[in-house]
Amino acid sequence: MTTTTGRPGGADSGRIEITGLTKTFGQFVAVDGLTFGVEPGRITGFLGPNGAGKTTTLRMLLGLVRPTSGTATIGGRPYADLPRPLESVGAALEATNFHPGRSGRDHLRVLAAAGGIPDRRVDELLELTGIPAAARKRAGGYSMGMRQRLGLAAALVGDPQVLVLDEPANGLDPEGIRWLRGFLKHLASEGKTILVSSHLLQEVAQTVDDVVIIANGRLVQAGPMEELEGTPGSLVQTSDAAALAGALRVADVTSSVQEDGSLVADTGDMRLVGDVALRAGLPIYGLRPQRADLETLYFSLTEGTNRNLGDGAAPVGAPTEGDAVTGQEGANL
Amino acid sequence: MIPAVRSEFRKFFTTRLWWGMAIAIFVAGAAFAALFGFLLTSETARSGEAGVPTGDATQVASSVYTGGLSIGYLLLLTIGVLQIGSEYRHKTISGTFLATPRRLRAMLAKVVALLGIGAVYGLVSLVGSVSVGAVVLGLRDQDAFPSGTIVRTLALSLLVLGLWALIGLGIGILIPNQVAALLIGVGVAWIVEPLIGFAMSFWEFGREHVAQFLPTSATNAIVNAVSNGPDEVRLEWWGGALVLAAYAAVLAGIGIWRTTRADIA
Ligand SMILES: Nc1ncnc2c1ncn2[C@@H]1O[C@H](COP(=O)(O)OP(=O)(O)OP(=O)(O)O)[C@@H](O)[C@H]1O
Ligand SMILES: [Mg+2]
Repeated sequence: MTTTTGRPGGADSGRIEITGLTKTFGQFVAVDGLTFGVEPGRITGFLGPNGAGKTTTLRMLLGLVRPTSGTATIGGRPYADLPRPLESVGAALEATNFHPGRSGRDHLRVLAAAGGIPDRRVDELLELTGIPAAARKRAGGYSMGMRQRLGLAAALVGDPQVLVLDEPANGLDPEGIRWLRGFLKHLASEGKTILVSSHLLQEVAQTVDDVVIIANGRLVQAGPMEELEGTPGSLVQTSDAAALAGALRVADVTSSVQEDGSLVADTGDMRLVGDVALRAGLPIYGLRPQRADLETLYFSLTEGTNRNLGDGAAPVGAPTEGDAVTGQEGANL
Repeated sequence: MIPAVRSEFRKFFTTRLWWGMAIAIFVAGAAFAALFGFLLTSETARSGEAGVPTGDATQVASSVYTGGLSIGYLLLLTIGVLQIGSEYRHKTISGTFLATPRRLRAMLAKVVALLGIGAVYGLVSLVGSVSVGAVVLGLRDQDAFPSGTIVRTLALSLLVLGLWALIGLGIGILIPNQVAALLIGVGVAWIVEPLIGFAMSFWEFGREHVAQFLPTSATNAIVNAVSNGPDEVRLEWWGGALVLAAYAAVLAGIGIWRTTRADIA
């Protein structure tokens, strides 16, 4: 596949910039003063519970929904001002965006025609997404996995620098999710900007480089995935946890004894933990890395805020950014 | 603009709708030509009695060749509704506006494509009606091509179908439920309008100043069909064309204006 070199505007053309983006439907504030950036060459997970405003935000970015206020730009321009939009931005919005009576291949040909892209590219993409044969059948009979793949192929028709994918893993089986992960990593390694939404942190945790988490239309967390996960720890099983904790403190490593008698050292350096234990003459029955529990973390960031489950009143106690940080610490990072 | 128009044509010709419609229009053209060819040249028709469709040789030939249009324009109305309605129904409209984010351009591409599709189906209809109609008129010892006006009529029938497709486009946007849009569109053209026309015939002012501006009457004026009776007030062919174009422009225009502003969710 082609790389991004030689594109007009260079890598900068791939930066997504969301500034103070707000959308209200009547009285209802679906997206509320959202501000964040998405960097080229990285996969950014756009996370939030159902109804958080992810789809609305992405649709505003793509010029399909008109923001109440604020701006969303790609390479410095609003989507509608991109001279050849399909060649700058590819989007896969929902798995149902096909006419059931039209074949997948024809669906792509319709898009290609609108973007002034040669039909040859369509067949290339069908190969790339692994559906060349099935794509000649009518889309009405496609499985969920096929639809998602066809949706991805549609997003890639113009070989765009930026990809915007709304819940692409929805409905995929484990095999399909694995394929999707590899595929996205491959695209990011070509320098593309990838913004992928999901309502599950665990689903994308292994794939994304950055995360943007929203709840009730507001930002609660944005930054690199490592930052969210915090310092890695090591879980040690030994005969005397308190003694090992003391020995680790001498080596400048803090640790905490768990209820079950094991010890969590606040370092990812397991060799260090092993050496300290050896010098202290303590046996090691088990030693493994421990990461933050993403599920707990994610809930602590977004919990109790799903306005769709409430009575529709304004969310009381919705987390501000300050709250979010507290929540993060509470999640034992 | 040209890529967007190409895309619209592909949308239309990549589902099964198009050839089903083509067969229907061809058959309607041929069947009505045969039917009108015999009816309008029968003894009763020539007697000139009130209530019996009458006209000169040119009007008879025009009616024979364009008789299938009464079916044809409803099919094009349907095509117009579906060209936008199915985009809403299957949510492909997002893809359309992603590829052509200037929505006015995307919608004008639909207008151009529908006028083109109208012309193509017009030709299909004429192939059926002129071939069958000319033979039937010949059998009845009538002049199959009595005047040059016939050529004008045939050419205008292509425009008529395109304009009805645009009326469908407007209805399809203004009534977002595709099925409702089809029922209402066809219902108005085939049931409500004839009823209004019938009611008008009892009201002198309506008969003389309103009835001829109804879309079907305007269509009949354009193609210079036989009149339904001596009382019928008819627009000139160009007047009919302007009236029908006005319907198309207003309905499609309002629809397009709304589409360019709406959120696509
Ligand atoms: N056109 C609309 N009119 C009224 N409310 C809307 C409209 N579109 C979205 N909403 C509301 O805005 C909120 C955000 O919706 P959105 O689809 O952006 O959420 P989401 O984060 O994508 O959720 P999910 O994970 O379920 O896809 C929801 O509460 C939804 O009901
Ligand atoms: Mg969504």
